Amino acid sequence: MRFQNAAKDGRAIVYAAIQADPLVARAAGLLAGAGYPERLLARAAMNGETLDPEAWRTMFPTLFGPDSDDATRARAEAVLAVSLDVAGRGEEARSQFRGAIVEALTERLLARRVPATAIHRERRILFDGVATEIHPYDVTVEIPGAAEAYDCKWGARGIGPDVLHQLDDARRHAADEGERLVAVLVVFDAVRTCQTRLARQTAPRQGLRMVTLETFDRMAGTKGAAS
Amino acid sequence: MAASVDALLLRVVVSLGALADTAAPVDDEWQYVADLVTVWGAALRAAAGARAGQEAPPGAGAAIDRLVAEAASIVDPHRAIDWLSTLPQVALLAAGEGPR
Repeated sequence: MRFQNAAKDGRAIVYAAIQADPLVARAAGLLAGAGYPERLLARAAMNGETLDPEAWRTMFPTLFGPDSDDATRARAEAVLAVSLDVAGRGEEARSQFRGAIVEALTERLLARRVPATAIHRERRILFDGVATEIHPYDVTVEIPGAAEAYDCKWGARGIGPDVLHQLDDARRHAADEGERLVAVLVVFDAVRTCQTRLARQTAPRQGLRMVTLETFDRMAGTKGAAS
Repeated sequence: MAASVDALLLRVVVSLGALADTAAPVDDEWQYVADLVTVWGAALRAAAGARAGQEAPPGAGAAIDRLVAEAASIVDPHRAIDWLSTLPQVALLAAGEGPR
């Protein structure tokens, strides 16, 4: 099993510019230090209609209400501001930003558990005698004997046969070579929604691990709110 | 007098149905849309039933009013599908429920 940088096609070059936008790093940094309520706020506001911050404060009384302490409110205000910045970029751009933010958040949380030098983005995984997958993995942890491959999605709707087959193939091919590869699907959506999506899928998912909105902190080696 | 938790959450069930109508033009996701309405509707009804008659926490009434209005303002069917998951989660949080 070997890892390799993905070739830069046109789409990848455009997307790389999004990934490098400071807004992505700012959002990922804030969300890495957030909990379930703030992450849910980000999910709602980044794909909402209104750009009025007061409307979102009203919708999240546990974050902005009178019982909220100063630290909670300050953290939530920062998350709200960055989320509305994403939402204000327009339909196509906000979709790309959201995906890049989930990837960057995944990378940041993993960096709390494994050395940053072991974490890579947009990598292919090569196996002897096996055709290379078309799509690279969003994030990989490349530690001999403890490799991990992450596919990141904004919503459960992104879970489909292609994604499940690719993760399963990688895990099985690694096992065929006597290697251990943990395949993880990261979805910035509720576990209930992800399970609903998965229930209709016939693609294999044995050994697949899933991280959802409630359990993102597990990637950092700590339990999420709904663990 | 503050609204009860169950009254607020049952309003969200109605809003969920309206979102499903908005999502209907996405033909290849009709089953997923129907499934989301079923599972999240059940979660909302279960939470409403468990807290029937309980006074809603501070701000919950205004939160649900604004949340339902936000959901009603969505016209893009793909965004509506995304909100079939977001709407109930935000509503449950506003009502003082943890993640479900």
